[in-house]
Amino acid sequence: MSGLWSLRRRISYAARRSPIKVFLPLIALVVFVFYMMRSDTITKPNSRYKYVREDTDQFQLKQVPGDHISHYDLNKLTFSSNALEKKEKVLILTPMAQFHQEYWDNLLKLTYPRTLIELGFIVPKTTDGDETLKQLEQAVKDVQSPKKKVPKFSKVTILRQDSEAVESQEEKDRHAFSAQKKRRSQMATARNSLLFTTLGPFTSWVLWLDADIVETAPTLIQDMTKHDKAVLAANCWQRYYDEEKKEDSRRPYDYNNWVESDEGLRLASQLDDDKIIVEGYSDMATFRPLMAHFYDPNGDQSVEMKLDGVGGTCLMVKSEVHRDGAMFPNFPFYHLIETEGFAKMAKRLGYEVYGLPNYLVYHLNE
Amino acid sequence: MSQRLGPPISPLKHSRKARICQISIIRIVVLLILILAGSAGITFKMLGQLPYVPQFTESNAEYTEFYDLDKVDGHSDGWMKQDRILFCVPLRDAAEHMPMFFSHMRNMTYPHHLIDLAFLVSDSKDDTMGLLVTMLRELQNDEDPSIHFGNIEIFEKDFGQAIGQSFSDRHGFAAQGPRRKLMAKARNWLTSVALKPYHSWVYWRDVDVETCPPTILEDLMHHDKDVIVPNVWRPLPDWLGGQQPYDLNSWRESDGGLQLADTLDEDAVIVEGYVEYATWRPHLAYLRDPYGDPETEMELDGIGGVSILSKAHVFRDGAHFPAFSFEKHAETEGFGKLCRRMGLSVVGLPHYVIWHIYEPSTDDLKHMEWMAQEEEKAEKRKEVMKVYKKVWKAGFENVQKGWEDERLRVLKNSDPVRLSRNVRVDWSD
Repeated sequence: MSGLWSLRRRISYAARRSPIKVFLPLIALVVFVFYMMRSDTITKPNSRYKYVREDTDQFQLKQVPGDHISHYDLNKLTFSSNALEKKEKVLILTPMAQFHQEYWDNLLKLTYPRTLIELGFIVPKTTDGDETLKQLEQAVKDVQSPKKKVPKFSKVTILRQDSEAVESQEEKDRHAFSAQKKRRSQMATARNSLLFTTLGPFTSWVLWLDADIVETAPTLIQDMTKHDKAVLAANCWQRYYDEEKKEDSRRPYDYNNWVESDEGLRLASQLDDDKIIVEGYSDMATFRPLMAHFYDPNGDQSVEMKLDGVGGTCLMVKSEVHRDGAMFPNFPFYHLIETEGFAKMAKRLGYEVYGLPNYLVYHLNE
Repeated sequence: MSQRLGPPISPLKHSRKARICQISIIRIVVLLILILAGSAGITFKMLGQLPYVPQFTESNAEYTEFYDLDKVDGHSDGWMKQDRILFCVPLRDAAEHMPMFFSHMRNMTYPHHLIDLAFLVSDSKDDTMGLLVTMLRELQNDEDPSIHFGNIEIFEKDFGQAIGQSFSDRHGFAAQGPRRKLMAKARNWLTSVALKPYHSWVYWRDVDVETCPPTILEDLMHHDKDVIVPNVWRPLPDWLGGQQPYDLNSWRESDGGLQLADTLDEDAVIVEGYVEYATWRPHLAYLRDPYGDPETEMELDGIGGVSILSKAHVFRDGAHFPAFSFEKHAETEGFGKLCRRMGLSVVGLPHYVIWHIYEPSTDDLKHMEWMAQEEEKAEKRKEVMKVYKKVWKAGFENVQKGWEDERLRVLKNSDPVRLSRNVRVDWSD
């Protein structure tokens, strides 16, 4: 109290002695407060809301000429068996939790012209994701930099996931049955985010290629579009070193490519609406014929088989299937989720789903 | 005396007290500045670790883009936060509605440069495309730059159609299932091709809206819901009662609806507002109170497509307009169901109304034809009466006046009052 009292006395004393010393800062303070409080907002006569005064247009669209109106005729979009001849554009989409150099090297080996290829990646929002993003950035710059005299991809889009991060995929228990629903639901959301923001007016085909596919034929795109199927899955295997036989060997990897079985249908009919069925777990034996087991090393590579569920490791989709609405359900859709749910939805939309049992692509061996 | 002035203060103590006082004042001022600065946009969220952001420029990587989807999600006050809206309009033989639609666009108060327009023109026989381009050019070349919209994309795609576009063709019961599935496809093609990683909101709007507040986007947005729709009514001619609910596709699921769904086969599509499917669902349209609070919200399961505002993440997450029977629903109603299934909020505003144009149904048209005929008949009758009256006048003498006099005289003669006059009667033989 006495402090304030003395201050008042001091101020009144100073004000009498040299008024400028007191009033100048006071005026300055008032001006400052006014400046800060000055509204950055404006009102409009026909609205009860406030708006930003200075509109900064980060996309500089105001400078675009008035008749700049893009016009696309989607009737001219084709998805044909001779994609290369018709110069059909392919969008390669990869959800990328980890960057593998082998994946990137294999991608660069593809012989389909890069001017007809667009790339899309989505990286989870985790610290691991930060590392992935840095590696991916470097890899992309090595190709897309104007200083490098290599063919450029027609477009590269990299997204950072907004939904809660998918927990690290390294841990073995992530493959546990109980964690599958949540993990695959998040995966489905990531796939959808990637798909629906990168699909352009000229995209004819979408190739889903997982980040751990390290070996494919260089003619992968030509080989798969040749079949002219709405949805087509390659058979995904894995190379490994057989400790018993002491030799390089290979084994089936992706079990999500399957044909529906009576047992599978019976199981589904008994489940609650929010339960899912996933392949490869003994908890739930569906006895579905799995494409991975249909591989015949001496068979014709172009043999097709009808499927009911597909995996996303290497999947070629006509863009019209996605455009009609077929997406990756992040909820149980006919007790199926993610890529398997996608196959079901494509079928509900009237498309046929096929697989190539004798056409192999290889998964990384962790 | 000494009480009032306080104890004598030593110079040292005095200066310390003053300093404490000064410091506290400085603290208050600093705090004030910080608060003001905070409101000016400087946030302190920037502490803590930021996710890595790659730098792509034309000089280090061509045709390469990076987006953090976390940064683009819609805000409840998006117009202050520079949220970009994707404005989707499906068009089919819509030339006649175009001028009205563009007058609405012009009046919109949401900052126009934040609105990207996407049109899908399909199966049109009239000059929808030509008129659209002309009117867009006119809009974008307006003298006032605040009228200009952001990026504009027009897509063309024909889906073929088995059904005509007249009101009764479109709204007949049998036509609903296949028609809704085709329209769903059209909508999906539009979002899948027009949605960019930088969009925060997606707004679906039909062209045939007659009356709509210019603040519709802000009005819907400030509710901060994943998916939100207003109530849609239509004005009617007086002889039909003045006004009527239009959009019956916005409803809440009922037990009756679920029971009905169980009895139908996998590909069946339930459509609301037809006696064939009695679902007993509460409809958004019928819950309107003209004097109700326009802010009132109602949870919905199915929605109509006249005016839908949704956050862009809804479509990024995979929600779409089912072009197949999803839980016995398709298109916008299926979209509502799908969003609910994905755990998103779907809300309607019962007392906030926009007005669809009135298109007469076949029955209405018949009735209107009948009314027009009646009017014509009345007109004719008038003409006939005129001639008739003329002829009448010429052919007959008007004896009305004479009769008046006559009557008076007759009455006078039989007036009992006047009977008092002396009438002499000779009773003798």
